[in-house]
Amino acid sequence: MSVIASAPAQDAAGTRGVSLELSGLHRSFGATHALAGFDLALAPGELVAMLGPSGCGKTTALRIVAGFDRPDLGAVSLDGVDLTPLPANKRDMGMVFQSYSLFPHLTAGQNVGYGPRLRKVSAAERDRQAEELLELVGMAGMAGRYPHQLSGGQQQRVALARALAVRPKVLLLDEPLSALDAKVRLQLRDEIRRIQQEFGITTLFVTHDQEEALSMADRVAVMRAGKLEQCAAPAELYDRPATAFVAQFVGTMNHLPGQVVGAAKVRVADRELPVDGACPAEGTEVNVLLRPESLDLEPAAEASAAGRPGEGQVMLATFLGATTRLTVRLGDGTEAKADLPSHRAVEFPVGSAVRLAPAPRPVLVVERG
Amino acid sequence: MTRLFTKLGAWGAVLPLLGYCAIALGFPVWAILWEGLHQTNPTTQQTTVTFANLTASWHGIYLTGLLTSLRLSLLSSVISAVVGLFAAYAISQSRGRYFKQAVLTASGVLANFGGIPLAFCFIATIGTGGVFLSWIQNVWPSFSLETFSGVALVYPYFLVPLMVLTTLPALDGLREQWKEASANLGGTSRQYWRHVGGPLLLPAALGGFVLCFGSAFAAYATAKALTSGTVPLVTTQIANILSGNVIAGEDNLGMALAFNTIIICGLMMAVYLPLRKRSAKWLES
Amino acid sequence: MTTISDTEPAAAVTTPARDKRGLGLRRVRWWRVVVLGVLAVYFLVPLASTFWFTLYTPGTHTFSLAPYGQMFSAQGFGTSVRMTVEIALVTIVILYLLLVPAMIAVQLRLPKLKPVLESLAMVPLVLSPVALVVGVQTVLGWGLDQDPGTPLFQLAADLQNQSFPLILPIVYVVIALPFAYRSLESGLRSVDLKTLVEASRGLGASWPVTIWRAVLPNLRSGLLSGAILTLALVFGEYTISSILQFLPFSVWIVQDGQGATSGQLAPAVSLLSLLLSWAVLFLVSFLGGRRAVGRPDRSS
Repeated sequence: MSVIASAPAQDAAGTRGVSLELSGLHRSFGATHALAGFDLALAPGELVAMLGPSGCGKTTALRIVAGFDRPDLGAVSLDGVDLTPLPANKRDMGMVFQSYSLFPHLTAGQNVGYGPRLRKVSAAERDRQAEELLELVGMAGMAGRYPHQLSGGQQQRVALARALAVRPKVLLLDEPLSALDAKVRLQLRDEIRRIQQEFGITTLFVTHDQEEALSMADRVAVMRAGKLEQCAAPAELYDRPATAFVAQFVGTMNHLPGQVVGAAKVRVADRELPVDGACPAEGTEVNVLLRPESLDLEPAAEASAAGRPGEGQVMLATFLGATTRLTVRLGDGTEAKADLPSHRAVEFPVGSAVRLAPAPRPVLVVERG
Repeated sequence: MTRLFTKLGAWGAVLPLLGYCAIALGFPVWAILWEGLHQTNPTTQQTTVTFANLTASWHGIYLTGLLTSLRLSLLSSVISAVVGLFAAYAISQSRGRYFKQAVLTASGVLANFGGIPLAFCFIATIGTGGVFLSWIQNVWPSFSLETFSGVALVYPYFLVPLMVLTTLPALDGLREQWKEASANLGGTSRQYWRHVGGPLLLPAALGGFVLCFGSAFAAYATAKALTSGTVPLVTTQIANILSGNVIAGEDNLGMALAFNTIIICGLMMAVYLPLRKRSAKWLES
Repeated sequence: MTTISDTEPAAAVTTPARDKRGLGLRRVRWWRVVVLGVLAVYFLVPLASTFWFTLYTPGTHTFSLAPYGQMFSAQGFGTSVRMTVEIALVTIVILYLLLVPAMIAVQLRLPKLKPVLESLAMVPLVLSPVALVVGVQTVLGWGLDQDPGTPLFQLAADLQNQSFPLILPIVYVVIALPFAYRSLESGLRSVDLKTLVEASRGLGASWPVTIWRAVLPNLRSGLLSGAILTLALVFGEYTISSILQFLPFSVWIVQDGQGATSGQLAPAVSLLSLLLSWAVLFLVSFLGGRRAVGRPDRSS
């Protein structure tokens, strides 16, 4: 039974991957706290993307899971078994690095066969496995090529095959696409997802590209300053961000000035909207967070363009296909972005006076400081 | 047309260097090869092709000199290559910028430091009347700087830095990811060195060794200043012949000896260059 | 040895997370200390004892810095130093006039020639200077075998002019090639030459202006290191100049400098030139500034 043939078979039998848990991880480098109490749990077969600005600790967390680094405090466990004391080479994790991780003196096939070779698999069996895995990642017939004869995207495919060759319990991806061209990146993104689902392998994926995270992952873990901000399915993360940081970090967000006018009610652009989550006391000046797609526009009288709240002038129109993004400068100088269906956007040419019309849905607010 | 022009311009920039080397390096080498294979009859002034010089240079004291040179080069370059490789690894692992820069520049100077000044330094240290001679003779009573072992002790002083200089780029080219990838795939540290690190470094290490060997073989001034000719080496023998300490009629024997060293040099380069090429492909891209 | 093996495991227990990479580097550390320690002794002790030797006069039990002062007043010092400096300068100029355009052209337009250049630059490392000088002498001899008055005879004679033997810089260029090549190569590696040249050419600069104003300033660290190494090499070179029977500094110091001051002068000069060239090289290596030696820390 080969690796590839056995993986889906296991799925059919109902054994899908393992669960991975990171609990209370702390790690500091000198004065910087890369991780300050980081928790994350992955269900069997799940792909979770760790997303965050650079320096938020996501790579450190991944390296701790792989065993390249040790936490100052906290533990990593697989199916409830603590891995923390195990060295990297006893962990059964397959890792794909950012780039240049293939051994340059070995062919693609030998690279894939490296793990099995350490496990004393016979040469013939290794070659067969390597050929199958390379075919799986779309590299059929390239086993004899050396890394320097392969493009960046092809190298990452081989790296993925190499990681899978040791039948890892967990797959770790450390920004595997960030060094590639945009087009190759999109293509490889889909393939990684397909292979991951085919194997049903629990996968932890580090990226700083939110689009990548949102499009590939079952759940996205947004990190900030060494802690988990929120871990949720992409749609939930986008629609119901748990914190202002998540709201601002994921997707485009407008910050419009408003005022709390009652219990969980905020007045913005001359409308009253219900507040989702924490709401400061009545009378507090706040920023209301609104997605461009939940902002509509109405024509406004020319004369009042500079005066009344929520009114302004269209500065820029960016055609995005089905929608057009209009940038509006308000009377107080703040800019708002509104996404309108393109056929409606033509009603508001650049320079025209408009009034913002937020959709009547619950919104997040942050105090203005 | 412009493409052709830029290509021509580029060749124009390279050719002077190649031409210079052909004259300043190639011409003398050719002269040695030519003279080494010819003999001028003192009475008739006729020049004939002969292998007599070469044959003579492979016999008697000259054979001894050649063998001693080879033995000395082998011993000192093996020591230097091993020590230099470890030193280069230790340096490549260090994170201190100043330390690394200091060692690198020092290697640059010291690799260049063969010759008379080096001999002076060691004579002052462990030569006759040297500061530390008695220390060394406590552990090694028969030690003297003017012997084979004395010279072999001095040569690493410029060979180790040379080894460091030639292998450091390769060691710096060893990526941390490879070590991590190997561990990740289940490899121990030993397995990493056996299957990845070792094979990757081998060409650079062998190349460095070959350079050290060639450099030791070519050295003259240090040995001459240390031993005044008591240890027979090819280079000192050549110099002796040149300065006229020979039987008449053996003028071209010096050429034949020089001929031998050039052959050794050619062999070293023939071994070194393919190794260098391979190492560059793996580690310096 | 015992202190090292005693303290290391203890340190490992108290600070388990100290080791950044956690891949058994702790085991590596003690041999690193040993290797570097032994090498430090091997390389520093001869220098230190040379220094001691130049200061201390055993007969009178006195210390004096005199040898360092005496060299300036010694007979023939000025002539030989001037001659050597001139030879060094000519060597450096010829070397760079040949090497800089060639290396830039190879980097930009003829990458296929790079191995050729590289191997050429390696040959002098293993070619015995004694053999080289034999060849040079032979060639010069052929010239002098011509009838006096012919151009070839004149050329051979001019090359061996006692006051300024042009043949020495010509040969030294070959000998210095490996070191200059290496310095320039590391300089070129830290600069994105292609972008630099394209930017300058795109702004309308001619080739000479581009090289002079855009490329050379970026290579100054490499150029300076190469020049200093060449200077040091010319000052220390003994084999070729002595066999060709010229009297530059290195030969003078061995022949004339030794007698007067109980042999302290020559080591003093050697030591001084070694330390000086190292110090200058070390300082120059920071001129480039951006050349990062350590790899960036991954703590994100």
